[in-house]
Amino acid sequence: MQLKKRKHCKHRRQMKQIGVPLAAATCALLGQAPGDVKAQELAPWDIDTSLLIYSESDSRVQDLSLNAIARKELREDSFLSLTLALDTLTGASPSGAVPSPVPQTFTRPSGNASYTVPANEPPLDDTFQDTRTALSASWEWPVTRLMLLNVGASLSDEYDYTHTGLNAKLARDFNDRNTTLSFGVALASDTVDPVGGSPVPLAPMLEQGNSANKRGSESKDVTDLLFGVTQVLNRKTLVQLNYSLSNSDGYLTDPYKVLSVVDPVTGNLVPGPAGSGLYRYLYESRPDTREKQSLFGLIKRDIGGNVLEASYRYMTDDWGIDSQTIDVHFRWNFGEGSYLQPHVRFYSQNEADFYHTVLFNGQPVPQFATADYRLGNFDGLTFGVKYGHETKQGEWSARVEWYSQTGEPDPSARVGVLNGLDLYPDLNAMIAQVSYSFGKR
Amino acid sequence: MNIRQWQRVSAAVVLASLGAGLAGCAGVEAYDRDILARPDMQIVTDPIEAAADEHIYFSKEASSGGQGFGGGGCGCN
Repeated sequence: MQLKKRKHCKHRRQMKQIGVPLAAATCALLGQAPGDVKAQELAPWDIDTSLLIYSESDSRVQDLSLNAIARKELREDSFLSLTLALDTLTGASPSGAVPSPVPQTFTRPSGNASYTVPANEPPLDDTFQDTRTALSASWEWPVTRLMLLNVGASLSDEYDYTHTGLNAKLARDFNDRNTTLSFGVALASDTVDPVGGSPVPLAPMLEQGNSANKRGSESKDVTDLLFGVTQVLNRKTLVQLNYSLSNSDGYLTDPYKVLSVVDPVTGNLVPGPAGSGLYRYLYESRPDTREKQSLFGLIKRDIGGNVLEASYRYMTDDWGIDSQTIDVHFRWNFGEGSYLQPHVRFYSQNEADFYHTVLFNGQPVPQFATADYRLGNFDGLTFGVKYGHETKQGEWSARVEWYSQTGEPDPSARVGVLNGLDLYPDLNAMIAQVSYSFGKR
Repeated sequence: MNIRQWQRVSAAVVLASLGAGLAGCAGVEAYDRDILARPDMQIVTDPIEAAADEHIYFSKEASSGGQGFGGGGCGCN
């Protein structure tokens, strides 16, 4: 129903339909002078900017992110959108190896250095450092009076990763614009060029300077399809229901993640390849295809001038992962253009079929194996609050949120010395974002 | 029932509720859309925040997308 385009008084079509008197009344409600409505005037640049800090505790990942979205009406009801994201990432990331009562030495991904993790400490690879630049552009225009088409392209570049993508979305209004059906498709072609090369799946980690277990760059293709329906239920309520299907094909393994190989009785680490001086760690291996499906439902309702938004997502994939997400925002509008918006999000997923906290020495090595905590069994909780304020020039807002993950290792991994060690460390992060939007009013 | 069965039943209940809601809606005339036309009643109120969150959760969880396309285009997962 393209309600977004009808916001304020810039949707000329609606104005024509409902007539000047009502347009004036609506403008008055929205705090604008009727004189602002000029039939042929194109909307000015509408620019959103933000600075975001994502900070994990225990010296894990830190991200400083600058984002901007610029939107301009270039022809009547036709909009160009440009987005820019700059990320600077530092910190340490769990390698997938488990802690041990003895110090552990690992070869860095580059193969040119090594690092040692103290006894009983979770192995974190502290070389995590990257910058990411992402750009996208899209063009949206009405194909017919009731049909809107949006086509776009995206590009992003990191030290070890390049993404290129194309996307298109078609939306058609029905039922006096009370119902919108939409269909979208996105194609991505990505190249992974890991620092030091991509490890041979399930190959053992080798000593510094030995790159016999590494190969060149890899690639993957992703196709996403989305079918959606948005429905106005009444004057105060909207709902949306989406089904999406995502197919990934190619290199889906994380080149920096490993699994520890331990004795099945004592839980002690076992020696790695002769002469390496390392314990035995195998690089992870994931299937080269993945199909994800998700159902997403959202309800948005005005409650006395405030807004409740609640959504639910169910995701399932052919790696054996099912997840559920519940997300609730309540926007409390008060004073002159101010609002306070508490937010809570619950997330829960079960582990992939090939998730193993450890591998056991002497047992057959499975075809696929990962100890990446993100493919494990965990719950996530986010809570926070946002404050926003509109001024004559624009709107600024600030939010702070806390995100935590609490997971469970494989029960079978609790053998010998691994009992009592933290095999699935909690993740705790703070998200702080300051945004400023201008040009809309 | 195990957890997967519970998840599927929950999804079916949500779908059935939404379906019933859609079937029962009478529609709203254009001149009654003052509330629905407000910026804070749009499906995506703050696109920059939505994109940031999509990127964060894509990097930290096995799921992505749902409302829009998944937050791909990075080597973080």
